[in-house]
This record gives sequence, C-alpha cells and structure tokens, in this order.
Amino acid sequence: MKLIFAGILAGLLATTAAKAEDMVFTSWGGTTQEAQTKSWAEPFSAASGIKVLQDGPTDYGKLKAMVDAGSVNWDVVDVEMDFAIKAAKDGLLEPIDFNAVPKADLDPRFTTDHAVGSFYYSFVLAWNKGTVSGEPAGWADMFDVKKYPGKRTFYKWSAPGVIEIALLADGVPADKLYPLDLDRAFKKLDTIKSDIVWWGGGAESQQLIASGEAAFGQLWNGRVFALEKDGADVGVSWNQNLTAADVLVVPKGAKNKDAAMKFLAAASSPTGQAKFAEASGYAPINTKAKAEMPADAVKALPDAHVDGQINLDMNYWAANRDAIAERWYAWQAK
Amino acid sequence: MAGEVGPPSRDKERDGPVVPLRNPGDAMSVETEQSIATMRMPAGLGGLLPALTLIGLFFVVPVLALLLRSVTDPAPGLQNYAALLGDGTYARVFFNTFLVAAVVTIVTVLVAFPVAWMLAIMPPSLASVMFGIIILSMWTNLLTRTYAWMVLLQRTGVINRALMATGIIDQPLPLINNLTGVTIGMVYIMLPFMILPLVGTLRAIDPMTLRAAALCGASPFQAFRRILLPLSLPGIAAGGLMVFVMSLGYFVTPALLGGTSNMMLAEMIAQLIQSLLNWGLGSAAAFILLIATMALYALQLRLVGARRATGGI
Repeated sequence: MKLIFAGILAGLLATTAAKAEDMVFTSWGGTTQEAQTKSWAEPFSAASGIKVLQDGPTDYGKLKAMVDAGSVNWDVVDVEMDFAIKAAKDGLLEPIDFNAVPKADLDPRFTTDHAVGSFYYSFVLAWNKGTVSGEPAGWADMFDVKKYPGKRTFYKWSAPGVIEIALLADGVPADKLYPLDLDRAFKKLDTIKSDIVWWGGGAESQQLIASGEAAFGQLWNGRVFALEKDGADVGVSWNQNLTAADVLVVPKGAKNKDAAMKFLAAASSPTGQAKFAEASGYAPINTKAKAEMPADAVKALPDAHVDGQINLDMNYWAANRDAIAERWYAWQAK
Repeated sequence: MAGEVGPPSRDKERDGPVVPLRNPGDAMSVETEQSIATMRMPAGLGGLLPALTLIGLFFVVPVLALLLRSVTDPAPGLQNYAALLGDGTYARVFFNTFLVAAVVTIVTVLVAFPVAWMLAIMPPSLASVMFGIIILSMWTNLLTRTYAWMVLLQRTGVINRALMATGIIDQPLPLINNLTGVTIGMVYIMLPFMILPLVGTLRAIDPMTLRAAALCGASPFQAFRRILLPLSLPGIAAGGLMVFVMSLGYFVTPALLGGTSNMMLAEMIAQLIQSLLNWGLGSAAAFILLIATMALYALQLRLVGARRATGGI
C-alpha cells in the first residue's frame, strides 16, 4: 500500500517538475482559442522554447479559487475586460510588467495596469438566410416579432451587450445609454422573452444560427466570420455594432510569471495580433498590426464598421457588474 | 423495521432477488449471493478506516468549510441564508427544483414500472440481456446523452421534422428549453435507478399471489391495485426517493434542455460561484440543498428501513 502511494506521489512530483518551465494559457475554447494557439502560442514556443499548455474554458470562479487557495495553475487567462477591471480591484491579478511587454503601440482603450488587450470584437446582428426573409436592418428588428417571426438568440450571461441592445431598440440614443436604465431595458426584453433562446458559449451561438434553430442572434463578429468561412448561409448587419474587448491577465501568484509576461509580449505584438485578427475576424489591439494584414482581412474587422459603432462602457460595467447581474438573473428566472 | 438488519442468512432469503442488480451477467449464481453475504459481515473498524478517512478528508471537511463560508463570507452572520430565503427569485428556484424533481420522479415511476415488471417475469437469460442494455445506457457519457436529446428535441430536430413532414403538426412543438425538455432528458437518465430497485422488489413477489387473486375472481386491474402495487411499494419508495434526491442536485441536463425559467438549484449555485463570485451565497445555497437531501434520506430510512432504502444496493 505504502509503496503504491509513494509511487503515485513520485509520479505527481515528476509531472509537476516537468511542467516547471512550461506555462498554461486559458481561453474560451472553440474557434477563438484555436486561432490564439496558432497565432500566439505555437510561434512563441518555437521562438522561446517555452511550452504553452492550453486549458479552458475560462472560469472566473476557478480563477478566484486558485488565487484564494494560493495554488494558481493558469499563467495567462483570456477574460472579458469588465471582469478584468473588477478582478484587479479585488486583488486577483498580477500587475503587468511593461518592461517585458512593450506598451507604446497598444491601444490605450484596452490596456490597464493589470491587463493587456487580447482582441476586441463587436456584437453584430446575424441571421440565417434560409429562415429569415428580408434583411433585418438593426437591433429594433430583433424586437419586432410580427415583421420578423422566429426565435432570437442572445448571450445568456450578465455581461455588456444585451441590455444596451434592448435600450437601443427602444429608441435610446447611443450617447445616452449610460447609466443604463435597467427598468426600461427589461421592459423591452419582456416583449420578446418567450421568443428568446439563450446561448452560453460561442460554439452554441454558431450552432443555433447555422441550424436555423434561432432565426436571428446577437453574435460575436468572429463567430459569424467563422460561419461565413465555413460556407454557412448567414447574413450580418453591422448597424450599431457594439464593441467590447477581451484582455489577457496574469492571475495573482501565477507560477510562471516571467514566461507569462514574455507570452503577453508576443501575443500583443504587431505580428501576433495581425495573425490572430486574420484567423479570427476579431480586431487587433496593437495599432501597428493592420499594416501586417492582407487588405481583405482588414475589411472583415470591426474597425471597418466604425460608422454607428458603439463602445460598450467597460468601466461602467466593472463598477455595476454585481448589481446588474443580480437583476439580470432574477429577470431570467422569472 | 429493526428486523430489516438481520443476520446474513436471512438476508439471503430476503434480498436474494436483489443480487442481479449488482451483476446482471451472472444473475442467479449462488456464489455471487454468498460472496455478497460474506461482504456484508461486519469486518471490524480497521477495514473501514481507509473509506472513512477518504470520506472524512474529501467530503466531511469540504462540507464543513462550505458551512463555514456560508456564515462568514462576506461577513459573519446568517445574512446569506436570509437573502436566499427572503428573495423571490431564489424562492422560485427552490420551488422549481422541487417541482422538477417531483415531476421527474412521478414520470420515471410510471415509465419504469412496466419495464421492471417485464424484467421480473422474463426468463433470466433474456432478462440479463435486457439488464445489459439498461446498464449500457448508464455507461454512456451524460453530456453526450444530453446533447443527443438536444438534437432530437430542438425545433429543427429529428422529432419535430418527422412530425412536420408527416403533416401531424405544422408548427414545431416546443420540446426543449422548457419543463418538457428537462423532464424527458432527466427521466431517461434516471430510469435505471428506478428500474433496478423495482425489479428486486417485484421479483420477490410470489407470482402465485396474482394467480390466487385471479382464481378468486379479481380482474387484472384489481389484482394489480390490491396485490401487485401494495407489495411493490417498498421498491417504488426506494427508487422514487433515490430518483428524487438525485434529481434535486442535477446540473447538466436542466442547464442544456431547460430554459432560464426552469433554472434549478445546482445551476444557480454554479452561477453564484462561477460568474458572480458570490461564494458566501453559493455556499449557503449548496448547504440548504445538502440539508434537504439528507432530510429526505433520513425520511426514507424511517419509512422503509436501511436495507430497502438503498434498494439493496
């Protein structure tokens, strides 16, 4: 018995030891993480000799649990920016070492003391051309069940996006969105509640639209881009597209901090950002990246649709995350 | 009830039919029965030590930590419990959890009973094959099975397409993202847990009692209601409570096949822990669920006795 335990223990120690020079990158899975692996992790490993292990999906509860327990297995994590702002305040993140990560060319909108932009994206209106006749012009059409019957799919979790969409559809001008009028937003959402199918992850949103299970949806532009690349018959409206960002963070107490900072430098470099943007359809957060991209790839980015584009207010969300979430889930459960 | 915990020799008589549950392959072999009877002999505390240590370290300690967190996070006091019990949303989720568990249990009993009866009266060789099929479904990954139901039940799924192609319906039936979807998915997963204890009970019923009833002029329905049903009640109670208790804590199936208004406790706890990072409230909810589950189990022990409460498993 003792021998077996000793054996297992030795085995465990050996694996941990072998992993000491490696680092772990955690993201959301699916086509996005594949693109991150190809564009960042693989070239980075080839250049530095540091092996990047992939984990996922990102789970804020796990991140907090690791930090609280002082046993952090993730070195770089892709998180939503409003979470990053809040998590930095709660002491869950390491400050970024900007000596190791060149800051000059990074878009200041997506760079903080504790986070480097991963990519930025737009929520767009996508639809299945087989099930929808006509071309929905904007968010208001998603609330018009007479003109556009069928199920609508929205992001399930409390996060920047759906509340803003409801308010825009209800006629709130883009520059008057914040502070969010939650009563008005939920009242508007109530009008189509029975027609809503929620998507919890990117792959699910793609499946719902591609199969026609939902006629329309609020999707991440990169997921629509991937659907189009796969030849799915989808339409997309960029009207009032809503930008938000993912950022890369290093959890407090990460075991391979130095490797993590080096990885951040590579991921946010013009080349890393250009490659990822080309593969994913998400916009680069390095201002020099677009110069390295083919012209037609640049056209697919949210930057090509700045007309009427609305920036979701990450700071507002970071400050009001919990209060909104409480109402959001209470409303959903009704 | 105390007599339930009898010496091994009596066990063999009473629980004999239950043995196939463990190992349908060699359903009736005498060795199996004997080896199980031997296993049930008190082995002394020393033999229990590894199991107790394991449970202590990986169950009791975390549960205590959970309890502690529920009354200390974010501040010492009972505010988490007050929030859970005083808030309409959480109350709805609690109610919903018990409602779903009850519906699933009732439907499972209704579906499982005929199957269990068939298995009980079948020739043993055929019954073993059937058991194999039922057990096989339990070996398939839960997530895979639930996704399979999604493919079948969704608006553009196999069932709706077939019904629409044959002209039976012209609008897709809402089979998913609602209570219907949750019930179908969960009943399917729970069936083995109902069938197995039920077969044990039904096998122990002497078929002659039914014949005797018929000879005395009872209609098949009367025989079922007056003889078979009362005699099989312990099995129904055992399986039913097991299904109910398991359903209370279910996560994957309701999350995937239900809508947001069918949210069950487990999903709410996951949400509180994962996205809201409100661990105090999440711990309190988890602890309430644990208490409810344990109370039900205690009730079951009182009602049907320790041995039968677990269906002999």
